[in-house]
Amino acid sequence: MYESKSGFFRKYKDALSLNPNVGTWAWLLHRITGVILVLYLFMHFLVLSSSIGGEGSFNAWLSKVQNPVFHLLEIGLVAVVAFHLLNGLRITIADFFFLTKPHKTIFWIAMVIFVIFLVITLVVFLPRAFSPH
Amino acid sequence: MNGKTGKGSAYGWLLQRITGIFLAFFLILHILVLHFTKDWRIDFNLVTSRLDSTGWVIFYLIFVPAGLFHAFNGAWQVIHDYRPKAQAVRAVKTLLWVLGIAISVWGYYLIFTFNKGA
Repeated sequence: MYESKSGFFRKYKDALSLNPNVGTWAWLLHRITGVILVLYLFMHFLVLSSSIGGEGSFNAWLSKVQNPVFHLLEIGLVAVVAFHLLNGLRITIADFFFLTKPHKTIFWIAMVIFVIFLVITLVVFLPRAFSPH
Repeated sequence: MNGKTGKGSAYGWLLQRITGIFLAFFLILHILVLHFTKDWRIDFNLVTSRLDSTGWVIFYLIFVPAGLFHAFNGAWQVIHDYRPKAQAVRAVKTLLWVLGIAISVWGYYLIFTFNKGA
């Protein structure tokens, strides 16, 4: 990466203006989804920790996070996972198989798969969010 | 990449990709089994019935540290881009390793809280 000036967001602004290509957006989105997933992982472990209180405590916590609002948020989570996973595979394929030249093509292939994943997720998760408990 | 932190950064790069490939498989399986099946309402009995099988326990024993390594190594890459000073590098690396190992141990403990209930 190039030398950036100071500022937390400055480097991202600079990167996008210096190199306004698909690859830069993919890099930025990979970073944003990565940070979201790290934060989610902490929450995930926190909720699962209720199991130390046994069945009652675990089920009480799990019922709190299984309602329409959380089922809708889960769609977002699957989208974040799917993007990070598919773009991560694109990076790995480009790195390991010397395919950095067609990386943009591989990105768009990954995005087609992303859209397919998202549609399947919406079909499965949306009725769930509005089904009575 | 800068040469400031010197050797070792290539291992981080390689391990991020290796754990990433593992996680791609693990995470797809994890999400499919938990959210794309008929039993999509998760409760204690559902989890204990799955964790009764040795296969699933082994699955989680690999999944937990692989995920945490990938998460903290990724966080390190983000921090590293801000070019921390040498002392900060050591402090942050130590903190991330301690946190990663502690949460892995915690995760292992949690796996077995689901075994007792069955």
